[in-house]
Amino acid sequence: MDEEKEIREEPAPFEVTPVTGQKPVQLQDPELAKALKTQEEQEDGMSEAILEGLLFIVGDDGITAAQAANALEISESRIVQLFENLQKKYLDDSYGIEIANYGGTYRFLSKAIVHPYAKKLFQLSKSNTLSQAALETLAIIAYKQPITRVEIEEIRGVGADMMLRKLEARDLIRVSGRSEAPGRPILYEVTEEFMDSFKLLSLDELPALPSFETEESDDLFEQ
Amino acid sequence: MEEFKVTIENFEGPLDLMLHLIKEKELDLFDLDVNILTDQYVAYLNAMQEMHLEIASEYLVELADLIEYKSKRLLPKDDSELNDEYEEDPKERLIRRLLEYQQFKEVSSELNRLYDERQQMMSKPLSSEAEEWMNSTEDVHYRGNPNDLFKAMRKVMMRMRLARPIETRYTSREISMEDRELEVRAKLDRLPKTFRFEALLDDCEDLPMFIATFLAVLDLARQHILAFTVDDEDVIWFSRGTGL
Repeated sequence: MDEEKEIREEPAPFEVTPVTGQKPVQLQDPELAKALKTQEEQEDGMSEAILEGLLFIVGDDGITAAQAANALEISESRIVQLFENLQKKYLDDSYGIEIANYGGTYRFLSKAIVHPYAKKLFQLSKSNTLSQAALETLAIIAYKQPITRVEIEEIRGVGADMMLRKLEARDLIRVSGRSEAPGRPILYEVTEEFMDSFKLLSLDELPALPSFETEESDDLFEQ
Repeated sequence: MEEFKVTIENFEGPLDLMLHLIKEKELDLFDLDVNILTDQYVAYLNAMQEMHLEIASEYLVELADLIEYKSKRLLPKDDSELNDEYEEDPKERLIRRLLEYQQFKEVSSELNRLYDERQQMMSKPLSSEAEEWMNSTEDVHYRGNPNDLFKAMRKVMMRMRLARPIETRYTSREISMEDRELEVRAKLDRLPKTFRFEALLDDCEDLPMFIATFLAVLDLARQHILAFTVDDEDVIWFSRGTGL
């Protein structure tokens, strides 16, 4: 490096002119990178602002990374990164809204701390709840999907026909196809609406089922 | 048999009741004494009957299984059964079902917590301007089933509720479906070729009016004056039908 530098500087006894061809490579390398980086940061900042605005516009319809990538003409992985930055920003306690990503759809939601005040403002007294029967049926479908009505009934010990229709109407489950079993019974699975309702990014995030296997197998061996 | 006190609890089914009895009588679920469980189960159902509570058929189905198991144990073992195809031992099967049900029962309370948390977070509907841009969509595919329509209607009604001012004052106006149909037909002239259902609702103040509008468009669809479809976003789209 030093040698090269000396050689380059030798034929430049008068002024800088001939050197300009070479100098940028050495001198501007770190500066150029820095300049480029700040430019990238600026672009990121702008993209974040655009994403934030889009989130505001789409409301409860939400927006997926793929949709945003398409609109901003940025790679999807970059969009995910930008959304994560935004999410972090809104996690701060000074913000009353946050950016949720349930089931792969980003949307603005008011934070839970706002809820009691909203209730007061709207003089709300009732809140939306799901019955125990609905919760159990949903749990069985979510952990075992795709699953048939008969399989659900076998686990709960009660008929599930009405419940399945109710859950389907509430868009929490949908028909995913038909089983190969005799009679080709309908198979059910949970929907994006389910993911949103239970704050899940994917089904991997479902709470672990309480296990009983170990105790049972111990007993079997003892006998 | 000891005195049986009935507490009217809302059991989710026979398995739920059995789990309750097992817990109450401190039975070992992994080494279940089916005889005690059966006696308790029968006593509970009898008590419910005495109180003239209706017993759902599912409880009786499980009762039959329990009694069948109990009665089989009273009979001398038939060796020929050994040669039969393998069948899961009814007791093991019952235990497996109880354990499996218990798992889902337990996890559902965790899901309930998540659901409650989510219920405390709220969102806003799509900006109305953006909805108008979407109005200009020219080619709309016509398809859908009653369930899609139902879901889409729920969404429309949700938006109506959210869009309503906090304090409102209104006088209810009674309107028949037939009158509303005429109003809707009058509206059609100033609407674009395809439009969303919401475009017909701008003068709807209350639920009856809303329902009248819905019935009116269903009737117009029947007469082929309007054609409708529900898209993937649960939006109801209308266009002029062939009957106009």
